[in-house]
Amino acid sequence: MHDVSQEFFGGVFNDKIEGGRAAAKISIHPQGLVAETLEEQRFEIPFGECQLDKGGASGRMIFCRNNDRSITLFCEERGFPKALESLSLGAFSGQLRAIQQKQRGHEKTFWFWLTVGSVMTLIAGVIGYYALIATTQAAVAALPISIDENIGSVAIKSVELHARLDAGHVATKLVNDIVKELEPHSAIKGLNFRIMVVDEPTVNAFALPGGQIVVYTGLIKNAKSAEQLAGVIAHEMAHATLRHGLKGVGQSLGIIAAIQLVTGDVGGLLALSTQLAQESILTSYSRKSETEADLEGARMLHEAGIDPKNMADFFQMLEKLEGDIPDLLAWISTHPQHADRIARIENYQKQLPQKPYRLLELPWEEVQNQLAN
Amino acid sequence: MKHELLCQPAATAIRFSLEQGDELTCEVGAMIAMTKGITVDTTSKSRGGSGGIMKGLKRMFSGENFFLNHFTAQQPNQSLIIGPTMLGDCIHHALSGGSMIVQGSSWVASDSGIQIDTTWQGFSSAFFSGESMFWVKCSGAGNLFLSSYGAIYSVEVDGEYTVDSGHIVAFEDTLQFRIGKAGKSLIGSFLGGEGLVCKFSGRGTLYCQTHNPPSLGKLLGPKLKPR
Repeated sequence: MHDVSQEFFGGVFNDKIEGGRAAAKISIHPQGLVAETLEEQRFEIPFGECQLDKGGASGRMIFCRNNDRSITLFCEERGFPKALESLSLGAFSGQLRAIQQKQRGHEKTFWFWLTVGSVMTLIAGVIGYYALIATTQAAVAALPISIDENIGSVAIKSVELHARLDAGHVATKLVNDIVKELEPHSAIKGLNFRIMVVDEPTVNAFALPGGQIVVYTGLIKNAKSAEQLAGVIAHEMAHATLRHGLKGVGQSLGIIAAIQLVTGDVGGLLALSTQLAQESILTSYSRKSETEADLEGARMLHEAGIDPKNMADFFQMLEKLEGDIPDLLAWISTHPQHADRIARIENYQKQLPQKPYRLLELPWEEVQNQLAN
Repeated sequence: MKHELLCQPAATAIRFSLEQGDELTCEVGAMIAMTKGITVDTTSKSRGGSGGIMKGLKRMFSGENFFLNHFTAQQPNQSLIIGPTMLGDCIHHALSGGSMIVQGSSWVASDSGIQIDTTWQGFSSAFFSGESMFWVKCSGAGNLFLSSYGAIYSVEVDGEYTVDSGHIVAFEDTLQFRIGKAGKSLIGSFLGGEGLVCKFSGRGTLYCQTHNPPSLGKLLGPKLKPR
């Protein structure tokens, strides 16, 4: 035989109670449920009449109503449903199971919508990101070229150019001549290319927005021919003509601007753009920009009648050199994955129509001798 | 302990007349004025109950203060006046053994018969109800004082009842609430300006406020100068 009764703490709703509600002791008897308030009012619901429901703020509260809903007992204690099931000899098994199923249904719906919501947010974020990039690219293309020149002139101030060779030096003349050969074939006209040759052993060259190009003598010495040097210079000129610097700043600013617009802080934008112009342009272009510059450089070489293979050859030479003097190969460190790049240039060249290439008539030997002294 | 609601309903304050030994626990900063024979004791636990640092931290999550102020009358015939932070009404609710789930910042004061705890009402209510992540759960038998932003009104729910998010002050533990959409379609609900609403079911007393602080914030926020 089971226990005669078991007591729980809960409450009762009934119109006879002052305020309609009172706390009560609920006991489960063999015939039904009995609630007793502190004022010793007593309410009974026989098992046969009892309608169960689950709810309350915690979601765990069990409600028992009689047929005409005049009495509602409620209890939140953990052992209550189990005691109810066992003491009523299974009279509530069906009702309790139905309650449980209803709750599971609610949980499923909740998780479904949570998942849908998260996925939608993620998709919106990704689309937003790419839309932003596309917008900045389009916006940059519409800006006048003088902006590139302004940024370039700010950025050049943070470069140390102590050992700059003067304009009359044969090496400077040589680089200038190469630029003149390539300039008619550049993607945009009206860029004012200015060449600075710096006497340092570093094997490096870089371009700033607006067409300023810095070449270190280490790079000239290590190139095997004027055509190889032309390959590197074509690549750097392509950075300027494709306006990679401004696109990079635009993109960083675009993302920061978007974040600041969302958070509502617009004040820092101006200061940031100046800072970015000085710092990020010089560090490196993105990998996508590098590939673009390779291919655009190859196209310029081809148009100028110089074999684009020279650019690939230069990379190959650098690859071999890399083991010997790693410190000097700054150009490689900002231009990674040269094996891929060589393959890409060669592939691109296969697509170009075949034409006879020429050699540049430039005083290559003289420049090398001058630099060697 | 007797109480009197002053200046109702726009800028309500509560005046308590305390006899010797009467105790009242209040939200930090709620005291406006008091007579000489009252001592104030600040702790992170509710009087006579469990508590400590964890309870204090939980209270902070619910939009309440880490600390609680306990006022005790050391002499007869003392008077204490307290008021809420937001401009609005206050109400008195007598608890007799049940529990009341109170929106974070609406709890003002309760006497020593009431335990104050923090409760979690589920993910959806934490993020979409327009209220705090946690709620304050007041249980026991005694007097409870709540505040609202704007005026306050009570509804006896029996069945289902819908309240816009941000308008809930408190509800009895016999009521369950879920987040749902106001209209039939989600987009329609948002276009109608209602968005997500709180849907109550069950039976019990529900207190609502006529205004809601987030709406005021949305109105004022964009007009403030950036720092």
